[in-house]
Amino acid sequence: MIVAKPHPIRAIAVPVLTGAALAIWAFPVLWALLTSFKTERDVLAYPPSLIFTPTLANYHDVLFGATSIVPNLWSSVIVAVGATFFTVVFAVPAAYALARLRYPAKRASGFYVLATQMLPPVGLIIPYYLVLQRVGGLDTYFGLILIDLTLTLPFAIWLMVSYFEDVPLEMEEAALLDRAGRFGALWHVILPQVRGGIAVTTIFVFLNTWNEFLFAVVIGGNRVRPVTVAMFNFMSVEQTQWARLAAGATLAMLPVILIGLFAQRHIVKGLTVGAVKGGGRR
Amino acid sequence: MATGAAARSFEAQERRFALTLVAPALVLLLVTTTAPLVYLLWTSLHRLDLGMPWLSGFAGLGNYAKMGSDPRFWNSLGLTAIYTISTVVAQVVLGLGVALLVLQIPKGQGLLRVAAILPIVLAPVVVGLFWRTLVLSPDVGLVDLVTRTLGLGSHNWLGDPQLALISVIAIHTWQWTPFAFLVLLASLATLPPDIYEAARLDRAGAWQRFRHITLPLLRPAIVVVVILRMMTALSAFAAIFAATGGGPGSATEILNLYAYRTSFSELNLGYGASLAVVLMAITLAISYVMFRLRRSRR
Repeated sequence: MIVAKPHPIRAIAVPVLTGAALAIWAFPVLWALLTSFKTERDVLAYPPSLIFTPTLANYHDVLFGATSIVPNLWSSVIVAVGATFFTVVFAVPAAYALARLRYPAKRASGFYVLATQMLPPVGLIIPYYLVLQRVGGLDTYFGLILIDLTLTLPFAIWLMVSYFEDVPLEMEEAALLDRAGRFGALWHVILPQVRGGIAVTTIFVFLNTWNEFLFAVVIGGNRVRPVTVAMFNFMSVEQTQWARLAAGATLAMLPVILIGLFAQRHIVKGLTVGAVKGGGRR
Repeated sequence: MATGAAARSFEAQERRFALTLVAPALVLLLVTTTAPLVYLLWTSLHRLDLGMPWLSGFAGLGNYAKMGSDPRFWNSLGLTAIYTISTVVAQVVLGLGVALLVLQIPKGQGLLRVAAILPIVLAPVVVGLFWRTLVLSPDVGLVDLVTRTLGLGSHNWLGDPQLALISVIAIHTWQWTPFAFLVLLASLATLPPDIYEAARLDRAGAWQRFRHITLPLLRPAIVVVVILRMMTALSAFAAIFAATGGGPGSATEILNLYAYRTSFSELNLGYGASLAVVLMAITLAISYVMFRLRRSRR
């Protein structure tokens, strides 16, 4: 857009307001990070202390103390990696067929995938709980990963469809003429073209499953307890230990924050791919 | 003739290939989403109270009939409407506002994009816990510090029923406005600059340019943002659960939370299932209307 000649009010208001947005989004997160290095006494100090002697005691506690979150981090890794792996393995081929191939009831199956995305999680957790309880599937990785797929698979399929649609048709035809065969063309020619899309899908699915709470709190138990549930329990058990809570939350959110910062462009692309494209294709 | 047969066999081959690729995912979705959905509907027709298992049995539409005279249900329905509409409107207005502002600053756009990513990547349950403790807690929370400094006094942000509702709406808006911001910023960047040039030559003011050029061009993107944000708002759970647990009383108990509490705190899974079915019907109805709306405007 074109910037008009700066009006004096605008010259002040624009930086002030954008600065405010920046502060409002970033400050609570930075504040939590800061809190994680305080003693419990400094946390409750009024006025709040910006200058204090930082301590690593909270991190030591949440890592090596009685209520260590290391097992929970491990639990989250298994669930998130497992769900991400199965999502990508199932979503990528399906998305290719939906984007490029002709088969009976294609429109209907595409719509079906979209419709499954609309199911509210609370409606799924009730039957899962009843069935898994009966077959001994509560507190198992199998159960939690299976229900997490309902969250990730429809979304991943549609995200990948939009990437496959961007692959130039000529490329595929050339590969076919080379007698590479359908599968060979997909594996050697098409898939390398959508590497970026697979990366975006992987990131999104990982973020969603790492952060998932509702399924984890119902299906999980003593053995399978991801960090999101551990943080929640921590709060109900040790209500006033905010510095330790902040340290635990910092560790729990470190993977997703790092992904967010390093894969920022990918995430923005993933967020916008549907929206902008859906808008552009008028 | 030979080429016709070859084409036919090629088509058959392609069909087989396509089905090999798509069938596993469709079967998996059938097993993981549709089968549970059928079981949910079936459960909603039963009385299934794990606290009183001896009363379990087929109840027909009894659970649905019960909702009519259940004030907590109507309360949750109203709260769902308030929560969904206010968070979606706030996200779109604020997100668009910040996106338009950011386009006017020569430097620092990247910094704002990074800051916007932070709330999005955090787990909603952790966001709820942050706000409950460090942000909204009376006396030491950030918001209370600000209101006290401004002379507005200290408030029990999550303990007072009305303030609690405003607080959970604020939490949701804080976490998800960056999504609207990033999507709308990307869409704004794709708008053709020559239209604005022409409008300026026509001496159209900033408001007119926004009203008659930016907004219509942005409309499809806004509709998509509204659809996606509504879905998230309707299934919002973890942040409210962590911040207020649906309380105080049932002041922040949107339908989603009511269905959860009924099923897993009160262990009345039959009634909980029927509440979840109602939530699902609402979600599907809204998405159907939104998709129709989107298509008809194309």
